[in-house]
Amino acid sequence: MSHSFYFLDDIAIADLAFDASGNSLQELFHGATCAVIEALADPGTVGATWRQTIERTDEDPAELLFDWLSDLVYWKDAAGVVFSRTELTLTCQDHGCWKLTGVLYGEPVNGSAQTLRSDVKGITKHLYQLSQNGGRWTVRVVLDV
Amino acid sequence: MDSAGGVGRMKLNTKMRVNRITDEVWEIPMTEKSGMLVPARIYATPTILRSMDAGVFEQVTNVACLPGVRRYVLCMPDGHWGYGFPIGGVAAFDVRTGIISPGGVGYDVNCGMRLIRTNLTREDVQPYLEQLMTELFRRVPAGVGASGFVRLDHASFDEVMTRGARWCIERGFGWHRDLEAIEEGGCIAGVDPSTVSDQARNRGMNQLGTLGSGNHYLEVQVVSTDRVFDQETALAWGITGHDQIVVMVHCGSRGFGHQVASDYLKVFEKAMRRYGISVKDQQLACAPFASVEGQDYFSAMNCAANTAFANRQVITHQIREAFSAVLGRSAEEMEMELVYDVAHNIAKVERYPEGDLVVHRKGSTRALGPGSPELPPQYRTTGQPVICGGSMETGSYLLAGTHGAMQDTFASTMHGAGRTMSRAQAKKSIRGEQLQQEMKRRGILVKAVSMSGLAEEAGFAYKDISEVVETVDRAGITKKVAELRPIGNIKG
Repeated sequence: MSHSFYFLDDIAIADLAFDASGNSLQELFHGATCAVIEALADPGTVGATWRQTIERTDEDPAELLFDWLSDLVYWKDAAGVVFSRTELTLTCQDHGCWKLTGVLYGEPVNGSAQTLRSDVKGITKHLYQLSQNGGRWTVRVVLDV
Repeated sequence: MDSAGGVGRMKLNTKMRVNRITDEVWEIPMTEKSGMLVPARIYATPTILRSMDAGVFEQVTNVACLPGVRRYVLCMPDGHWGYGFPIGGVAAFDVRTGIISPGGVGYDVNCGMRLIRTNLTREDVQPYLEQLMTELFRRVPAGVGASGFVRLDHASFDEVMTRGARWCIERGFGWHRDLEAIEEGGCIAGVDPSTVSDQARNRGMNQLGTLGSGNHYLEVQVVSTDRVFDQETALAWGITGHDQIVVMVHCGSRGFGHQVASDYLKVFEKAMRRYGISVKDQQLACAPFASVEGQDYFSAMNCAANTAFANRQVITHQIREAFSAVLGRSAEEMEMELVYDVAHNIAKVERYPEGDLVVHRKGSTRALGPGSPELPPQYRTTGQPVICGGSMETGSYLLAGTHGAMQDTFASTMHGAGRTMSRAQAKKSIRGEQLQQEMKRRGILVKAVSMSGLAEEAGFAYKDISEVVETVDRAGITKKVAELRPIGNIKG
């Protein structure tokens, strides 16, 4: 894996923004997912007693990533959890459709045991752009907090 | 820019022409961007105007291109870049020919302010402040993934969506007279919960009575006599000064409102193609107000707005319980009455000389002046209370609506201080623990779920709220009533 992400200082003054990248789309998805996990809580302080498998398909990988990252925000509220890690596989199907199978691991929010960070309320399309340059995939994401 | 007839030698973060209308009102004419249907007006002192980020100028002029927009697009002095519309933005659209846009409401539907007064003084509360803040922190959950004590099933959550704060009062979470001090009586009528997705329901059902995080807070404040600027109005609202204790709540519809906005941004992206609408920013996705999609969003947004009124009502109940538990007196004895509750992220149909308009306020507060028939009797002579939250270090303001706002700004004014520094920069400048200690030394006790979240909200990350308030006061769109200084704060 050679995914990476870093948070940006001055992109969204009231919110959070990050750039993620990877040598493949799957690595990019992994990097962006790790960024959202880190935005919510320090994953090193979160266990893995809760698990959720999610499958999604879309012809547009940018829309697929947007919806997948939105899934993290949804489960954070709907199940009251924060996340420690993710496993995901991304495949391009015969008809040109991308299929994502992702597994989220985490545990119920517990402020006394976990280092909680920002309550991300949503993924936005502000400056949202997924692109490939010189074999490296990148995406910019602004999170509404 | 340096342009004769514009703003003289003032250097702004835009190359657009900006004309001075008065010392507090600046106009970007329709000639500055292709497709503008009305001019854009920014309320600001020269100092505030100079500090405004480039996004404000770009975004107010983008909004001025949307179909059915009327008179002006406005930005208040606490304005800054937002998603699609700027924070501090106000825009009104014709109900027949105009649009409705989630970008003009904000993701946190009916994010708003509530102020509760007491007959307590600082002297009464100070010995118990640590205990009181601990009790408030325990009773009002905040931060990532917080869930409230009210357990709801799908049917009862539908009732919250349709009945708002009334639902809470009927279950003992408050007093009947609270409703008279909430915008719309705490319940916007005519909503249809079937316009809300299952995802939004699942995100919202456990969050009633929770603060959230970001810039949301619960604050115990003091009103000193020398900081009451309009004694007659203040007294009419039960604000007496003399180190009086009041409690301010800033929060909204939590994940529920955000999911409603996200759901309908997707719906509107497709609908725009069908209706032939093009926008200059994807976050301005919209639909004709009169269309099925537009009406569905209006209903779902109002469901979220009612849920936000209910959220602040349950929090009020918990505040009263906490004060009673710590101070050993009933909330009635302590006269813990609402001063007012008002939204600053909402779209409403209101009547103006142009006709019925969908007024979008995003980070802007309704400010009805004296005599407005929409106001309950207790506010008819004074104008509507406007509650403006500052940073947790510098204090907040209570203002009153004016005739000027009704004439000039679609009855709208500022909502808070407005950020000037990013969250990331603020965290690099100070650690949460250090800020907490510094504030304690200055007499402000802070309880926070997240220390990094606390650092993000440091006072230096915000504009000087006093200058923002002076701007709207001098512009005549609200008048100063009192300043409220923090002594205790709870953050997510």
